[in-house]
Amino acid sequence: MIDQDQANILMVDDQPGKLMSYEVILHPLGENLIKARSAREALDHLLHHDIAVVLMDVSMPEIDGFELADMMRQHPRFQKIAIIFISAVHLTDLDRIKGYQSGAVDYISVPVVPELLRAKVSVFSELHRKSRQLERLNLELEKRVEERTEQLRKSEEQLRERADLLELASEAIIVRDLAGFIQYWNSGAEALYGWPREQVLGKSIHLLLRTKFPPGYSRLSEAGTWEGNLTHLTREGREITVASRQALKAGGNATLEINRDITAQLKAEDALRKTERLAAMGRVAGIIAHEINNPLEAITNTFYLLRDHPSLDDEARYYAQLGEEELRRVAHITRQTLGFYRESKHPVEVSISALLDEILELQTRRMDFDNIALEKRYRSSGTIHGFPVELKQVFLNLIGNAVQAMPNGGSLRLHVFESSGRANRPSGVCVSLCDTGTGIDAEHAKHLFEPFFTTKSAKGTGLGLWISKGIIQKYGGSIRFRSLQLAGRNITCFQIFLPASDFETAADARASAPEELSVPSIAGVSDGI
Amino acid sequence: MASDRITILCVDDEDVPMMLRKLVLEKQGYQVLTAPSGKEALALLHRGGIDLVLSDQMMPGMTGTELTKFVKAGWPEMPVILISGVNEIPTDATYADRFVSKVDGPQHLFQTVAEVLEKYKRAQRKNI
Repeated sequence: MIDQDQANILMVDDQPGKLMSYEVILHPLGENLIKARSAREALDHLLHHDIAVVLMDVSMPEIDGFELADMMRQHPRFQKIAIIFISAVHLTDLDRIKGYQSGAVDYISVPVVPELLRAKVSVFSELHRKSRQLERLNLELEKRVEERTEQLRKSEEQLRERADLLELASEAIIVRDLAGFIQYWNSGAEALYGWPREQVLGKSIHLLLRTKFPPGYSRLSEAGTWEGNLTHLTREGREITVASRQALKAGGNATLEINRDITAQLKAEDALRKTERLAAMGRVAGIIAHEINNPLEAITNTFYLLRDHPSLDDEARYYAQLGEEELRRVAHITRQTLGFYRESKHPVEVSISALLDEILELQTRRMDFDNIALEKRYRSSGTIHGFPVELKQVFLNLIGNAVQAMPNGGSLRLHVFESSGRANRPSGVCVSLCDTGTGIDAEHAKHLFEPFFTTKSAKGTGLGLWISKGIIQKYGGSIRFRSLQLAGRNITCFQIFLPASDFETAADARASAPEELSVPSIAGVSDGI
Repeated sequence: MASDRITILCVDDEDVPMMLRKLVLEKQGYQVLTAPSGKEALALLHRGGIDLVLSDQMMPGMTGTELTKFVKAGWPEMPVILISGVNEIPTDATYADRFVSKVDGPQHLFQTVAEVLEKYKRAQRKNI
């Protein structure tokens, strides 16, 4: 630093005495003083040092001051070096000095006034120091600019990479200001919500997506981050649940939000829970039914024996009859939970149309009484392989429900038709059953096929449709329903599909037939219904 | 010939339900023997004179279907009816001739017994 701060001052004079006197005069400036006895020596110093000021005598032998100045002016490295001529005042000298015009050139006349020489040298060396400093600063600045440019280029590259990553993410990534106005919206958000970026930027996220906050949602400004589930509405109007992670951006003037659609996941979990619950309820129902059936048989037998007992008078016999009737109701309920009980071992050909007619015959009186019109359209006998008892139970439940839903009259429409196979469904028989009864509430619709669900309060067991669905599923079939309002009337339609192919357990039964034992075939025994 | 009456062997581990089943069947005109387990039922079968076995399904030791296998192995022409309160028909219930539910009541039981006996009688006639 000292070297840099000290300016080199080259003093050129052929007379050593003069050089010494300059040295004495200039010493107080604290600069580095270099002496040269001739122009040639001076050139040598110029080549090796960074000279700030050259102080030279005009009249020197060999190369005089003016010649040295000319040489310096021709060399680019020396062009800007300040020159102070020392000269006796000759007119000719003054003219020549003026001829240099541009550049830092000055002169001092002899006799030299020390203060003046000091002042002039000081000005030039200061000028030199400043320009050197400027140069250094410039260089440094250029270097810094270069470095900064490189840094910027790198960070820009990183940013672009990150932006690409943000676009790759399947999650919705959103930046919004504290008032909720959207600043950034990635392609994941476009896909999830259906809104293109250009349509949402600057809009309020909560108005756009109709955010429903869960209870206990704390404002971000307090905690800094938040994690939880939110309900949003997509552009199509579909309600979705998203797992949301939110954080205040550094500086606290915006919120970052990452949302993942978990609607399907929640639905699947819910369905699983429901299935498990239903299965558990089914098992419990079965166990209870079994526990009831044993004593039930004993009591039924007791009443059977009691009914005709000779010791009973008319009143006691009447009571026994009442008891027997009530027992039949208990038996009906447990038989419903026994649902899958079959009397025959092998599936047989069953005509669904014939089965429906049998059931309708039992209902004729009730339907006439309630003023229910019947419309039958059988396009097919609807023959499938199955077990008549359980199939009858399915349609008895459905027709019974329909009739009970029309206490003030209405119409019941029954269609039976063949359904040819499709890609994901085999061919089979379709039965559609429509009534104009009380209809099914949307709220009830969800629970329609659950065990112990009933709208008939004390009159129903809540097992009919659950059992029916179970039976239909065993056949690999399906049951669906719709309830709608048409011209001021409720229309409720159930559609049942049963595949025509052999019932799967038929094969199971054959497979498990014993080999070492001869079991008498009882195929001839009729199915008791 | 001691009697023309049909003899039914009733098997059940529960006393009271078995006694009542016996009374109901006797009222219908059948002669009824009882056994509290499959093992004792087989002992009685060895003594002879039984026309039909009516067994409970769920019994400790030997279940109704296990008993049925032994019966059919030793007496292929012996009709066996299983009676149960269970929810599902056991997969090996096919050994028995019929499987009836306890909740179906006496009338249904009589009908089933009559049908099974009739079938065996027809088969016997054919064999003769």
